[in-house]
Amino acid sequence: MLEKYLKLLLIISIIIISSCNEGEFDGIRFGLAYAPQNLDPRFSTDASSTRLIRLMYRPLVDFDNQQMPAPALARWERLSPTHYRFVLAAAGRRFHNGMTLTAEDVKATYDSVLDRKNASPHRSSVALIESIEVSGQDTVDFKLRKADPAFPGYLVIGIIPKALIDQGHDFSASPVGSGPFRFKSGFVDGKLTLERIRDKKIFEFIHVTNANTRVLKLLKGEIDIIQNNLPYELTQYLESKKNIKVMHRNGSNFTYLSFNMRHDALKDKRVRLAIVHAIDRERIVKYMFGAKTRLAAAIFTPDHWAGDPQLKSYDYDPQKSKALLAEMGYTKANPLRLVYKTTNVPFRVRIATILQHQLKEVGIDVKLRTYEWATFYDDIKKGNFHLYSLSWVAVKSPDIFRYVYHSSSIPGSGGKNANVGANRNAFIDRLVDEYIEKAENTYDIKQRIHYYQKIHKRLIETIPVMPLWYEEHMAAMRKNIHHYQISYDGSLDSLINVTKSPK
Amino acid sequence: MKTWFSISILLLWMLMAVVGPLLPLQPDEVDLSRKMQGPSAQALLGSDDLGRPLLHRLVYGAQTSFFVSFFVVGISVILGTFIGAVSGYFSGVIDLVITRIIDIFLAFPGILLVIALAGLLGPGIENVIIAMSCVGWVGFARLARAQTLSLVSRDHVQAAIALGSRPFTIILKHIIPLISAPLIVEATFGIAAVIIAEAGLSFLGLGVQPPSASWGSMIRDGTAYMLVSSHIVIVPGVTLMLVVLSVNLLGDRLRDWFDVRTRLKN
Repeated sequence: MLEKYLKLLLIISIIIISSCNEGEFDGIRFGLAYAPQNLDPRFSTDASSTRLIRLMYRPLVDFDNQQMPAPALARWERLSPTHYRFVLAAAGRRFHNGMTLTAEDVKATYDSVLDRKNASPHRSSVALIESIEVSGQDTVDFKLRKADPAFPGYLVIGIIPKALIDQGHDFSASPVGSGPFRFKSGFVDGKLTLERIRDKKIFEFIHVTNANTRVLKLLKGEIDIIQNNLPYELTQYLESKKNIKVMHRNGSNFTYLSFNMRHDALKDKRVRLAIVHAIDRERIVKYMFGAKTRLAAAIFTPDHWAGDPQLKSYDYDPQKSKALLAEMGYTKANPLRLVYKTTNVPFRVRIATILQHQLKEVGIDVKLRTYEWATFYDDIKKGNFHLYSLSWVAVKSPDIFRYVYHSSSIPGSGGKNANVGANRNAFIDRLVDEYIEKAENTYDIKQRIHYYQKIHKRLIETIPVMPLWYEEHMAAMRKNIHHYQISYDGSLDSLINVTKSPK
Repeated sequence: MKTWFSISILLLWMLMAVVGPLLPLQPDEVDLSRKMQGPSAQALLGSDDLGRPLLHRLVYGAQTSFFVSFFVVGISVILGTFIGAVSGYFSGVIDLVITRIIDIFLAFPGILLVIALAGLLGPGIENVIIAMSCVGWVGFARLARAQTLSLVSRDHVQAAIALGSRPFTIILKHIIPLISAPLIVEATFGIAAVIIAEAGLSFLGLGVQPPSASWGSMIRDGTAYMLVSSHIVIVPGVTLMLVVLSVNLLGDRLRDWFDVRTRLKN
């Protein structure tokens, strides 16, 4: 009798448990290492937000394979050096709230970015716009304060509806754009949900900080795709798993070692030369990064239109380093002493420890100082460092040369660009300034490339920074995920085509 | 058996800390071609994520944990005992003020205060010692005060007062010797707590700076590779556990030994 009741209880339990199952999720889950900070295209600066924003909003201009500006929402013509006309294309002009994207929305978006009250971090990149005039539903004219041949490449901010801007809508909490993905919910419990408009497929972007946890979730099937921010050893580990496929692609994020030119020792070029010849980049790349990581010679990769495929960087030559240090009077008893600052991210500390060890081999005594990001970045912006390493991420437009290497871009220099530049190591070189200015003032693309290549060469000669490498992009996904491709800049654009087959 | 186990582990720990720097070890020698290798003849406990021998780093890490616990517990015992004894002896306003300060310190979770202080002072082992000592004295002060209160009315203390001894002489000669037993027991538990706190701070990047080794920083470095080379985190983790367990077992043993009733029962 008791056995009968127990069997009945078991059957009821099974029915209850199976009825509780919500059914298998047939959408796609993407693991994010960093949570997006702001989903409003006027204010986002972090990489996660920028990549998600590209899915939800469309900009006027995008970049082609060579990173040249290319039409996205609009094509353009230059009426005069300070007057550009943009005509909106027919496709991609339906906002997710049903409204049609018009020239008024374009004007409202850029007016909002330019409005000092809004304090948009992108304001400086479009500050040369003097006025924006709408002529018809599809045409908008940009008039500039000064000529800038690279101008169309600055109009990469996603367009948002004027009506919602006027209402003070919170685009970060509830994004409304005209991109291929529609916002559904988020960012709640570390999860953002988007819907691919084409087929109403649901995509969940799940924030998982810890790399081990992200890998375990992928293996268990709680996440379908992850991209970047994994130690190389974990990538290799995933490659050995039969239900996972791993992809690699050349990256363009430029990692460099910066020297503070205000420092008594570092302003001597021989000291910088001794450092660059002491660092064995090939060995670091071989053991610490994936096979697609490339040694860098300049801020732009050789395949970028403003890059220089012939450019040669520095060789590993510890004997030369030792000779240079001896020539300057540094000995074992009196070594060159420097401080290297880095973030407390374990991988960055690991790289810093290798650099420290390699420099010690030639007799340079480097102390490491690790800080959390805000403190570290504050010190770097204030020029409070000897050495540090950082990366430039998704750099596409050559206006970066002025931002990083022009003498007027030294933060707090009191110049026109005071506090907005990123020449944090106070590098001043008359020739580099001259080449940057000449490139800015010519519309002949060949001439511009010519000057950019001169800048590259001059930077190799003067060594304000040591180019290290372009880290590869990697993505790992479950085998039932198809059509995912890693893009050149690590964006998530190929999610537009991704499909998932049943397990 | 338990006691001998604890004493052996602790002696080994001290030996590693004191003799380690005299040995020809290379705890900071990066060799990328050996990274994450398991135990072998060249590296008995294997190598870490930069190819450094784990055994060598373990020995140097012992030095860090030993000196941090020695200094922090030393400073905390001296400071806490003195403040607690003064508070208990004088009573009145002095006692009230000191007790309130102790209460305020106890109201915050100790490790959070240490993290905040270490964050303010900046990373570095000296700052870790300062931060932990700033928080560590409180427990000793509370214990010393309670013990002092029970001793102040004793005949020998009253006799010393009647004979005109100065208060600080009475505290030093007639009170502190009598309250030392529970304080020593508390100190042993304090050592265990400090070893763990130092490891925690180094884990968070607030302790020793690379490339110097500490057990906490070794565990932090190892956690990133748990899936591929678990020995990197197991080696310092088990070592830390053994030392903390030994200190706690020894503390238990000392407490039993100081307790006359337990001793008589046995």
